Amino acid sequence: MHIVVPIKQVPETSDVHMDALTGTMIRSGNTAIINPLDLYAIESALKLKDRIGATVSVLTMGPTSAVKVLKEAMAMGCDAAVHLSDRKFAGADTWSTSYVLSLAIRNLSPVDLIMTGERATDGDTGQVTPEVASWLDLPLVSFLSSISTVQDGILEGERLIEEGYQKIRCLLPAVVSVVKEVGEPRLPTLRGKKRAMTYDIPVWTADELKAEESFLGLKGSPTRVVRIGTPSVIRDATVVQASGEYSLKSAVSQLLDFLDEKGLLTEGGTHA
Amino acid sequence: MSVTYGSLTPEIVEQLIHIVSRKNVIMTSERMEHYSHDETNAEEYAHMPDIVVTPERTQQIADVMKIASRYTIPVTPRGAGSGLSGGAIPVYGGIVISLEKMNRILEIDEKNLTVSAEAGIITNELNERLKSRNLFFAGYPMSLETCVLGGNIAENAGGGKAVKYGVTGRYVMELEVVTPAGDIVHLGGKVSKDVSGYDLKNLYIGSEGTLGIVSSATIRLLGLPQSTSDLLVPFRTPQEAISVVPLIMKMGIIPTSIEFMDASSVQMSCSNLNESLPIEGVGAMLLIELDGSREAQVEQDLITVGELCETHGAMEVYIAEDAHTRERIWSVRRNIAEAIKVYSPIQSLEDIVVPIASIPDVLPELERLSQRYDVSIPCYGHAGDGNLHATIVKNPASSMEHWHEIEPQILSELYRFIVGELKGKISGEHGIGLKRKAFLKETSSSEEYALFKAIKQALDPHGIMNPGKILI
Repeated sequence: MHIVVPIKQVPETSDVHMDALTGTMIRSGNTAIINPLDLYAIESALKLKDRIGATVSVLTMGPTSAVKVLKEAMAMGCDAAVHLSDRKFAGADTWSTSYVLSLAIRNLSPVDLIMTGERATDGDTGQVTPEVASWLDLPLVSFLSSISTVQDGILEGERLIEEGYQKIRCLLPAVVSVVKEVGEPRLPTLRGKKRAMTYDIPVWTADELKAEESFLGLKGSPTRVVRIGTPSVIRDATVVQASGEYSLKSAVSQLLDFLDEKGLLTEGGTHA
Repeated sequence: MSVTYGSLTPEIVEQLIHIVSRKNVIMTSERMEHYSHDETNAEEYAHMPDIVVTPERTQQIADVMKIASRYTIPVTPRGAGSGLSGGAIPVYGGIVISLEKMNRILEIDEKNLTVSAEAGIITNELNERLKSRNLFFAGYPMSLETCVLGGNIAENAGGGKAVKYGVTGRYVMELEVVTPAGDIVHLGGKVSKDVSGYDLKNLYIGSEGTLGIVSSATIRLLGLPQSTSDLLVPFRTPQEAISVVPLIMKMGIIPTSIEFMDASSVQMSCSNLNESLPIEGVGAMLLIELDGSREAQVEQDLITVGELCETHGAMEVYIAEDAHTRERIWSVRRNIAEAIKVYSPIQSLEDIVVPIASIPDVLPELERLSQRYDVSIPCYGHAGDGNLHATIVKNPASSMEHWHEIEPQILSELYRFIVGELKGKISGEHGIGLKRKAFLKETSSSEEYALFKAIKQALDPHGIMNPGKILI
């Protein structure tokens, strides 16, 4: 079984600085780490490796410095890594990023399972995983919380939904995103680190991926950030003080009047 | 010291209000309760003050001390109240002087690499403010988010980074101290050497507020390390883990921290945090931190130390090189004391310290005491300093009467072994305070104890300064 885990490097949350003028994150000079939610995807893949045997490949798209996160994933126990790096990729939005990732995954064929974190902690869109599934024309299981079996080309497990859990059966190959419930990520080991240090991570460029140039980087990205702002929070609060039985009744009455005025009481609601 | 203390009369209260203003005086029992205890067991040690004042300037502290001195009112200075030996508890009532409103940075002197700050500043906030200048105060008590500079100085706090950086006292260059008589004195200065008279500055460091009140301090700063990494190393037995510590210290690499955690400490903390570290079959873990100015050097040291552990019985060597993972494993270490409290609030958190070569000898004695008295003694702490927090935990099945009977016996046996056999001390960083004062007398020579008393008598002749602490 071959599992591919695409990961992203994100700024360390303890080291985030914002540009006061543009309201955007200053990325240069920041320490980059594996997107913390991707660690759960790595953990899921490694658990499957432990249970049923699998080869786990990890890949990331980014500048030279991104090698560090690939090596860390290998130190956790991943078997192989690929670095997607080309100036032409710079400024890619989720659509363009998912296009490049899908080309790389095709290059790694045969692939049985693509596992991702539910979203990245910096962009916070959660779009890349479904887009990769779309580019590869594979079934998507989002918010997977547990895997019970992987047998005869079928994955069975549960996904987290608003009402609880949904049992799923999915034909492989497939794309899944996992949530934290899959289990705490294991720690990297010195053995893994030493193996990663001697592993020569291949770098795949746009040419090697035979990528369509018009789909790449900023130019190939249909997303345009028109404006970045902080939503203003307007709270119309009234503090009703209550002490002693009389004023408690009066406070409850005032509160009900307030809610009534706002139209927040359902029909049949009566004053105390 | 036998002293008859004066009572707090309405006239004295008026004088105190006049000095610090009404807003800085607390007299309701509801609000004073907070000042009646520290992090020791409140049921056993708490005592209410008669009044709490929160001065905003050193002169106000001095004026309060003059009043206290005139009427022989006991005074207990207080930082954050995060102490573990009862040092901030007003055992004789009287006045608590809380430094909480004296929390300003007075000067950052980048040329001399010093910072001057009032004693009530939270140590962590001080470092946050220094971070943007690539500087830091290397004192690192474990209660870093709450404890304050004055408390660190009063206890000469150590913590997790003392292996490399030493304890608080190493960084104190100058102290502003208010004496029991209400005089303001400045001790030390921004100089690296000073043999001009007796070393009074160092006498005050670690004196637990029994000789005067530190109102502000000038602290030596270091350049902020650019790279930090941690190793988490499980061993099958505590002995194997602890035996590696002296070997690491001999390698020529000075780790920032070498923390020891026995299996029950790790289990309780992980369970409390819902953390799933690999602990099956683990007898103890070492948490080793390395830092430096160059990432490549720190990485090389990490491999060297890790390989040493591998060749001396490590079951695995886990590494944490980013802040996210480092925080994950450090939170397990920092949460141990709290987790043990959740398991059993009736306990005695100890702070023994021995020469590092004697660390392996401590554990069999803890095991013996545990068997003999039917208590559990989870043990963790700063192995690189020989400073272990053995925590004697009451067996939930036994009665409180039995606990009160055996606790002093266990401590007495433990301390006699630590001091008599291993040439260690009964407290490395938490202090004597209220909790250990009887044992200090028991484990000190009569000549040394007489010197302690002579110093106290000379500097606080009326016995009003944090009475009931350190000495009987």
